[in-house]
Amino acid sequence: MARELTFRIFRFNPDQPDVKPRLQDYRLTEEPGMTLFVVLNKLREEQDPSLRFDFVCRAAICGSCGMLVNGRPTLACKTLTKDLPAVTTLMPLPVFKLLGDLSVDTGVWFREMSLRTEAWIHTDQVFDPNAEEERMDNAVALQIYEAERCIECGCCIGGCATANIKPEFIGAAGVNRVARFMLDPRDKRSDAEYFEVVGTEEGVFGCVGLMACDDNCPVGIPLRDQLAYVRRKMAAAGWKLRRRAPAARA
Amino acid sequence: MRDHEVLVTDVLVIGAGLAGERAAIEAALAGLNVTILSLVPPRRSHSSAAQGGMQASLGNTAMGKGDSPDIHFVDTVKGSDWGCDQDVARLFVETAPVAVREMAHWGVPWTRVTLEKRVYDGKVIEEDPAKVGLIAARNFGGTAKWRTCYTADGTGHTLLYTMDSVVLKLGVTVHDRVEAIRLIHDGEQCFGAVVRCLRTGALRAYVARTTVIASGGYGRLYGASTNAVINEGSGMALALDTGVVPLGNMEAVQFHPTGIVPSWILITEGARGDGGYLLDKNLHRFMPDYEPVKKELASRDVVSRRIMQHIRAGYGVDSPYGPHVWLDIRHLGERHIRTNLREIAAICQNFNGIDPVHDLIPVRPTQHYSMGGVRTNIHGQAYGMYNLFALGEAACWDLHGFNRLGGNSLAETVVAGKIVGAAIARQTKETSPDVRWPLVYEHLAEESARIERLRARAVRPGGENVYALRHEMEQILSENVGIFRTEGPLVEACDKLRELHRRAQDIRLRGEGRGADPELGAALRLPGMIRLALCIAKGALERKESRGSHYREDYPKRDDVNWLKRTLAYWPAGADEPELRYEPVKITELPPGDRGYGESSSFAATAGRQDAGANPS
Amino acid sequence: MVYLQKALARNPRVDFLVELVQMVSGLLLVVFLWTHMLFVAAIWLGVGAFNALAHFMDQYRLLPATVVFLVLVFCAHIGAVIRRVPRQWQEQKIVWRHAKLIRHADTWSWLFQAVTGAAILALAIVHMAVVSYAGINAGLSSMRVHDGFLAFYAALLLLSEYHASVGLYRVFVKWGWVRRSSLKRVLGAISVLTVAIGAITLGIFYSLGAQA
Repeated sequence: MARELTFRIFRFNPDQPDVKPRLQDYRLTEEPGMTLFVVLNKLREEQDPSLRFDFVCRAAICGSCGMLVNGRPTLACKTLTKDLPAVTTLMPLPVFKLLGDLSVDTGVWFREMSLRTEAWIHTDQVFDPNAEEERMDNAVALQIYEAERCIECGCCIGGCATANIKPEFIGAAGVNRVARFMLDPRDKRSDAEYFEVVGTEEGVFGCVGLMACDDNCPVGIPLRDQLAYVRRKMAAAGWKLRRRAPAARA
Repeated sequence: MRDHEVLVTDVLVIGAGLAGERAAIEAALAGLNVTILSLVPPRRSHSSAAQGGMQASLGNTAMGKGDSPDIHFVDTVKGSDWGCDQDVARLFVETAPVAVREMAHWGVPWTRVTLEKRVYDGKVIEEDPAKVGLIAARNFGGTAKWRTCYTADGTGHTLLYTMDSVVLKLGVTVHDRVEAIRLIHDGEQCFGAVVRCLRTGALRAYVARTTVIASGGYGRLYGASTNAVINEGSGMALALDTGVVPLGNMEAVQFHPTGIVPSWILITEGARGDGGYLLDKNLHRFMPDYEPVKKELASRDVVSRRIMQHIRAGYGVDSPYGPHVWLDIRHLGERHIRTNLREIAAICQNFNGIDPVHDLIPVRPTQHYSMGGVRTNIHGQAYGMYNLFALGEAACWDLHGFNRLGGNSLAETVVAGKIVGAAIARQTKETSPDVRWPLVYEHLAEESARIERLRARAVRPGGENVYALRHEMEQILSENVGIFRTEGPLVEACDKLRELHRRAQDIRLRGEGRGADPELGAALRLPGMIRLALCIAKGALERKESRGSHYREDYPKRDDVNWLKRTLAYWPAGADEPELRYEPVKITELPPGDRGYGESSSFAATAGRQDAGANPS
Repeated sequence: MVYLQKALARNPRVDFLVELVQMVSGLLLVVFLWTHMLFVAAIWLGVGAFNALAHFMDQYRLLPATVVFLVLVFCAHIGAVIRRVPRQWQEQKIVWRHAKLIRHADTWSWLFQAVTGAAILALAIVHMAVVSYAGINAGLSSMRVHDGFLAFYAALLLLSEYHASVGLYRVFVKWGWVRRSSLKRVLGAISVLTVAIGAITLGIFYSLGAQA
């Protein structure tokens, strides 16, 4: 027997601020192998063409479809309806700018975070097209990749209480991004320079350790380990900074 | 009209995937002001979904020893079934190693050579200690050497994130959540694009000295595709709609052998490259029966056809979603699967609830890649229009001919980005800024009117439902213009698509179409998509031979006498179907011959037929 | 990113130092709490043992020293954590709504942390005032426990143990080294143990008070 499912979906269009945010109920019949990707597209095509949400790869690779499914931040595309109760509430991720219904502007948030953390390889070396590539231990490459796997879906940010009240906080995604470059021998930044970026309340020391990020990361990045790694490195850097004259820091 | 925003830039790049960003970087490094437009945040582009790898003949692994651009060249040309431009292929294979190393310099954590023991297909692989720490490579279909550089299970992801980090570093302007809906041109020269903001629905014009189409493929024209939902061929449609820019080889559509049933998400070629088998309903490994030499690792067109052939012979596994075969990677071991093929394990777990360490994966050939696209010369300049460039999957640079090798598309994006990007920079510097305001406003007004027309008729009963039309189009292509093609169904497809194109003029929105309404976006896009579908179907109907992925059951042989040529599809203004012209394919080094696999290969064909008839138990 | 105000005023290490103060003061309070529990558990050995310990502390002026120490560490801890507690009404509303929305156990425990912290502050002040004023003596304690203060001490025991356990958990979570699940188990066991010790101690005092 196919179940009748109810989806209680958050509706709000910033273009019509006079219409209050509300939860709207939609009903449809469950199909085998159905995901929220299928559900939402069906609802838009058959019941409500104005429904706004974001999907791109629908394979849990691109990170577009982060949302709160019954309160839990996760990727809608990989959420199977068979794992859901008869009534499911869908809300957009908090923290990010709301573009309409379930669609939020994660892209802009992550771009700003990447700029703030200067998330690129810092080096003075110039690329030599004729030279053999610089060698790297494969274990190091895998470590970098482990942090690089972040798909910028924003589930760790939306689920983070601190990020919800402190807009400047770079969150687990930001700290993990910094960890990725710290691990990379090609990036020549010193620990003191990293300290400038994340050794603050907006960075790793703003984390109060609630670990909603670690619990909700849909691609399973060990965020708690990454946070702890950066925290320890930054604590060591902070400890050493003591010896410098304060004027040199400004 | 004056209330529309108009932005001016030197170079306008439509699409922020690997190709677009790489070209943008090259132009920005030349000191130009570059603006990239993207439907989605750049890092969500479909480039990120490429799990497998990027081909470059570094020859660092034991199984790639002695590799060279020459061998890569031969593989690529054979893979294309002699449909590619050999000048382009030569330029590409020579540049690929540099491009890979450059990406390493920018930060891609390529998987490196280690001395770890590894058994492959029963043989122990001993790596050269002198090569430890250099960029490793894995095996991919249709290649003579192990040549595909990779980052564990996320090559596209790390390439795109690294590329985008360079874009950030250089301060290149990126506008995301915008959609180019029209090129601004005077029939000879391109001046930028009219763009719809997907946040607010407002129209803007971007005026540029050079405009670059790097918007990816059109996989979503087919109902079942491995592609992301944004791959709707919009950039190709922009070019086609100028009436003067042709699309090349649109009938060359790649079907990937292993799309997972039933969500059609891609299971990377790395699965077979790393030693996975294809099994039929009797759990018999059937590929060696058909392709004794390359087995599971013949080129994609061949493997896809062999699977369908085997299913047609009654050896498919029945399922509610139609028959399929199994992909078996269990023997690769848990450790390998959980590192180098982790993405596959995740997809199997998330979407099918199975664990490939212990379970078989249900797969069937699925639309995957478009070899065709905006036809350009070797510098990436579009045919028929000045100051318009195209590259990546959106273009027909013609590196892939009628079948692309796995690992050559990521490589193409980066290599073409480097080469075409430099050409863009040169061309832009030679072009003086020329803002033709009347032309800009005329284009804005026309697009604005198109939107107003749709809105004016919205909600009223009658007319065509955009989603219903779209599904019809998907179905026509999937059923009639798939892996096996014949005259009758192709004629039917063309007729139906022409009819669909006519009906698409009467789309009526169900909703109000206000602001950035998604239904309105779909309605604006659909007519262009149907035109692309018609280019594919008509090209397939006219091409009376079999070459690479284009397989005509009524013309099963490659015909180098009559068909060693490239299809160019034009859509003259006001026409109701494309006009096809042809140009010769440039053969410089390697004259047409035997691929060494596939039906055209005498060896494989006979061996396959005998075994297929006699064996499957 | 450096702005003028930050460049002029900010010690780049300040956030790190405050974090450090919070952790160190928290750890000191945990150590104190557990020592305290053991000391009062001296009553298990009898009234004599308890009074001897109290006398020893009195003799070497350990009681006032402890009070001074506690006041300092308390102030440091409060000063450090207060930056974390949502101060404005608006922030409070967001945090509570957020916790309700995402249904995440650790997030709830943080809110309780703020609440229990505030409650402990109030109760501890009373407790310290009483103890400093009246001194330590088994007779006084058992009388207090029996005559109305039982609920007070039970609450203080539970709250401070909960607060300490969660605080300790967070320190380990934030700095790494230990797995979260095993951490939860170990800390849970320690909490149960400490509460049990405290409860038995309270029970003994209560019965002593009843006999008196």
